[in-house]
Amino acid sequence: MTDANAPDQGRDIIIDVDLSKRTSELADRNLDLLDAHGVTAIDVLGSVGSGKTTLIKGLVRHLKDRYSIAVIAGDITTRIDADRIEEEGVPVLQIQTGGACHLDGEIVRRALERLDLDSIDLLIIENVGNLICPAAFPIGTHTRLLLLSVTEGPYMAVKHPVMVRQADVAVINKADLADAMEVDVAKLSDDVRSVHPGIKVVTTAARFDEGIDDLIEALGLSGDCCCAGGCCDA
Amino acid sequence: MHDVTAAQRIASTVLHAAHERQARRVEQISIALGAMTMIDPDQLTFWLEQVLRGTVAEGAEIEIEQLPLIVRCTRCDSESEVAVPDDPIYHLMPFAPACPACGCEEIEIVGGDACVVRSMRITEASDDE
Repeated sequence: MTDANAPDQGRDIIIDVDLSKRTSELADRNLDLLDAHGVTAIDVLGSVGSGKTTLIKGLVRHLKDRYSIAVIAGDITTRIDADRIEEEGVPVLQIQTGGACHLDGEIVRRALERLDLDSIDLLIIENVGNLICPAAFPIGTHTRLLLLSVTEGPYMAVKHPVMVRQADVAVINKADLADAMEVDVAKLSDDVRSVHPGIKVVTTAARFDEGIDDLIEALGLSGDCCCAGGCCDA
Repeated sequence: MHDVTAAQRIASTVLHAAHERQARRVEQISIALGAMTMIDPDQLTFWLEQVLRGTVAEGAEIEIEQLPLIVRCTRCDSESEVAVPDDPIYHLMPFAPACPACGCEEIEIVGGDACVVRSMRITEASDDE
């Protein structure tokens, strides 16, 4: 037996493992896998009842002729969201996290293994309804889309600065209910921009299909090309 | 990051390293915990003790060093330590760090957002194992 294989005795062992780095390494690995298959992925984040599923249904309706789309729906339990999105005619994978209040890189990696990534070019991932914990768990997407709705009250942006900072695009949803809720959409948008200068902010009423085109443009998904891969480019 | 998730990941990191070293017992675990992880050291210790039950690290002394939040301001380029309020209701009122020098929120977090498993102290495997 060599010294290297000898058991240690009462000895300090250096480990030096940064858990946050491991979390982002898992996410980076997912991103590499998606890139290798030419898939663009969007992480949709919002509180319970903010309208994530309705917004995703709207995005799918507007984009399914231009992109080959798959959706991953994350929830603690049930496949209500998956069933609703499947009505739009795209494949949906429901992840039931059990008790976990967020998706993480590992859960998403296992989901990616179950999808035929070569047959899709746009993947929309509905995270678990929560704006606190998902901020600490990147899952490896190209865009993090943050959804705030006026029915959650006027302080959502300032109350969730960590999440707002990480988002690339923010949506103020249920704008049709702003008057009833006495929420000033412009003020809420300004709050988002003050917490995260430079973020794109879009206003929608997803239930009535309003603002979806603006959102598609903000996500950089608009364009004349009929395919996501750009093969129709001159 | 979550206290339970952090505890599970620390445990699996420690137990993996202990297994590699053929440790009979893990006596002590040393952790560095950044203020911006918003993890309460007492809660983390509690959960670690629970998830380590029945393992070679059961009963290990858990030493947590808390690291301050360090921000770099993208506007005035100063780097400073920011006090994170010790507030048990942080889940309801999350903390938004700002630059202490100029007050703006256009900052980068350059330290204090990590949870690092630094080291452990182990005892050797016995000859009969």
